[in-house]
Amino acid sequence: MKSSRILVSILVLIVVALGSWWFLAQRTRSPIGSQISVYYTKMDGTSLVDWPVSMRLQQSGENVAEHLHNVALIAAVQAVAGPPPETQAVRFPPGTHVLSVAVDGTTATVDLSKEVENPLSGTFGESGEFKSLVYTLTGLPGIDAVQVTVEGQKLQTLPGGHLELDRSLHRSDW
Amino acid sequence: MLAAALAAPARADGPPSYLFGGRTIVMSHTVVAAGGVAVGVDDPGLLELLANVGAALTYTPGNRYVLITTAEPQVISFAIGDKRYDIGSNSSQAPFAPFERNGIAYVPLDELLHALYLAVKRDGNVNVIQPQLAVVDVQSNDGRATVIARGGVPLHARLISETPDQLIFAFDGVGTTLQHTRGIRAAGLRQLEVAQSGDARSPVTTVTLDEVPGASHGVADSDDGRDFTISFTGPQSGAIPIERIAPPVVTVPSQLPTQEPTDVPTSAPAGGPATITAIDARSGSDGLTIDVTVNGDASYEWHRLREPDNRFWIDLHDATLAMPERDDLETGPATALRTHQIDASTVRLALSLAGPQRLDVEPTSTGIHIVIYPDTVSDTVARAGTGTVGTVALAANPNPAVSPTPLPSGDAWKFAPHAGYVARNPRLIAIDPGHGGSDPGVVKGGTREANLTLDIARRLRDILLARGWQVVMTRNSDVDVIAPYDSGRVELQGRDDVANKAGARLFVSVHVNSYLNPGPNGTTTYYSKPADVPLARAVSHRAAVALGTKDDGIVKNDLYVTLHATMPAILVEAAFLSNPSDFALLTSTAWRQKAAQAIADGIADYAGAPPPAAQTGNQ
Repeated sequence: MKSSRILVSILVLIVVALGSWWFLAQRTRSPIGSQISVYYTKMDGTSLVDWPVSMRLQQSGENVAEHLHNVALIAAVQAVAGPPPETQAVRFPPGTHVLSVAVDGTTATVDLSKEVENPLSGTFGESGEFKSLVYTLTGLPGIDAVQVTVEGQKLQTLPGGHLELDRSLHRSDW
Repeated sequence: MLAAALAAPARADGPPSYLFGGRTIVMSHTVVAAGGVAVGVDDPGLLELLANVGAALTYTPGNRYVLITTAEPQVISFAIGDKRYDIGSNSSQAPFAPFERNGIAYVPLDELLHALYLAVKRDGNVNVIQPQLAVVDVQSNDGRATVIARGGVPLHARLISETPDQLIFAFDGVGTTLQHTRGIRAAGLRQLEVAQSGDARSPVTTVTLDEVPGASHGVADSDDGRDFTISFTGPQSGAIPIERIAPPVVTVPSQLPTQEPTDVPTSAPAGGPATITAIDARSGSDGLTIDVTVNGDASYEWHRLREPDNRFWIDLHDATLAMPERDDLETGPATALRTHQIDASTVRLALSLAGPQRLDVEPTSTGIHIVIYPDTVSDTVARAGTGTVGTVALAANPNPAVSPTPLPSGDAWKFAPHAGYVARNPRLIAIDPGHGGSDPGVVKGGTREANLTLDIARRLRDILLARGWQVVMTRNSDVDVIAPYDSGRVELQGRDDVANKAGARLFVSVHVNSYLNPGPNGTTTYYSKPADVPLARAVSHRAAVALGTKDDGIVKNDLYVTLHATMPAILVEAAFLSNPSDFALLTSTAWRQKAAQAIADGIADYAGAPPPAAQTGNQ
């Protein structure tokens, strides 16, 4: 009788230990795999193409939030650089690059260099560029909005531009 | 990461320096690592080098990644603690992993330079960073062979030999490791040879292309890209549709009649070609100033060739020369000036420049103003431009045609007005000519978006007034709606306020689209709110039927002016200023009238006829 009670206690402890381990593992394992979707806008100005980009897996010592931040950075840089040069796509103005990315809650803030202000990009370019960036970042788990800043400053619109940039952008904006 | 940091050795004796493009770049934030030099991402020399090759670095302390966006553009990705690095979708291994020290990431220098298509060469005791011709690719498609060359800096090809069966291009200052000869089985091309000569500081890479006898070729050398492209077609295929900038023809075709000044009217008849009545060239200490007097509407395009072939020419289209042709020797920054009628509707003014002179070409109220300055410019300045004279002057009396164009059969074009918004003034339509004043919108070859939008808007206003509507314009001249250089929100909200405060029936913002290259074209109607859709569909449909542009349909986008207008609102991008075909339409008075007519007809399809005057103010 006594031995069976000990056995049950050990079993309960094992179940609790396994459950705790599983729970903690789920909390600390990033849901992002070895590939993410970076989107680009085709030259019709509206259609999106899903372009798989390989990602380094979460490494030991990198928590879920850090991993998401790192992935968001590389996703934003890839989206702004666009697909390989031989692919026709609506592209950000030459020289535009990501200065930094911050993730706060469900919003990713992408700080862009001032080259993005090139007015020749027009409504066509402005719409296609930001559509690809917003779709790329909101495709990451936990991110549903993108706030754009230029050289650290929130802009109401790009100079001569048409999109309202002092609020965060969502997929539903397109 | 810790292991990598511990493995990072001490600094080398003195910072390494490199010669690049004639300047010395010192990389002071470097350490010698196991298998190579590691450079800190804050190294001023590295940042200078990246800026010179059009690349940009993204890194913030604590981030795992160091990312470099190249001018191509391509992303080079290093990760702290990982020997693997990626160039686009290709992965490679570096001899050591990037590491972080005192909040600064250090990456393998040789691998970074290689990814940027740069190579380090020794010249005695000097390290030279040499741009490389990194890719010479032959693509075969639709009976055409295309040779694409790509390198670490913009490739400026110098044609050093051209015979019927061989082309030889030289790339000065560019080295390569691609030296080889290979046979090609592609239309019009049978062999390609890449060779390098010169020394570490002054390399020259030549590309020799042997053509199939009778083949034709065209060269596309983009001003801002890294690519140099040559296309070939076989003997049966005829000429290939790639534009090649031809040097100006300086002899007058013998079949053209000699222009007698007394036979040509001094002002252009309405709708006829413009006339060039005077070319006034004046030399002074500020250079050579040329004023071309143009009577009537004409468009023009100018080109300049690269050093050492410093020729400049400007072609005026839809124009005839109403004065004797000129062939003058000049002194100063231009050595020769010639004018001639090169075909029935094109007048060319060609200059031989003394060197790569700085120059300006501007349209004026009487024609074109050209200045050739005594000083010279770098090779990267614009080498072509376009513009119009006369055509964008705003018509004081556009004489609008007020009858709607015939409707297509069927019901597909019919859209019911939206019932959710009740206008305080249901006879009032708000028209917003995009941009204006301190904000010219897109400017292409002297043509300003703000002028085009105002012109179309005024024509639209006149049509709507003739049909019995009341119209409120957010601006009626070339001004800012609120104040010069105000913020985007203030200016755009000001436009919405005009419509919102007046309680207008609907809001139409007129714009002209643009893009960074000439490819995109067409008419797009943007909307933001569900209530906008029927109006957008109606106007887009009329535009598709009437304008002869590509129909880009309706597109949802949260543009400020449509989002913040309380009534149904659309933003019509009539055509692309950046596309040559659309540009020709936009600068045509008749087409702008058509655009206004199409918008007015779309409004009629959506809203019907204006309500009787008695209803005004009773809603």
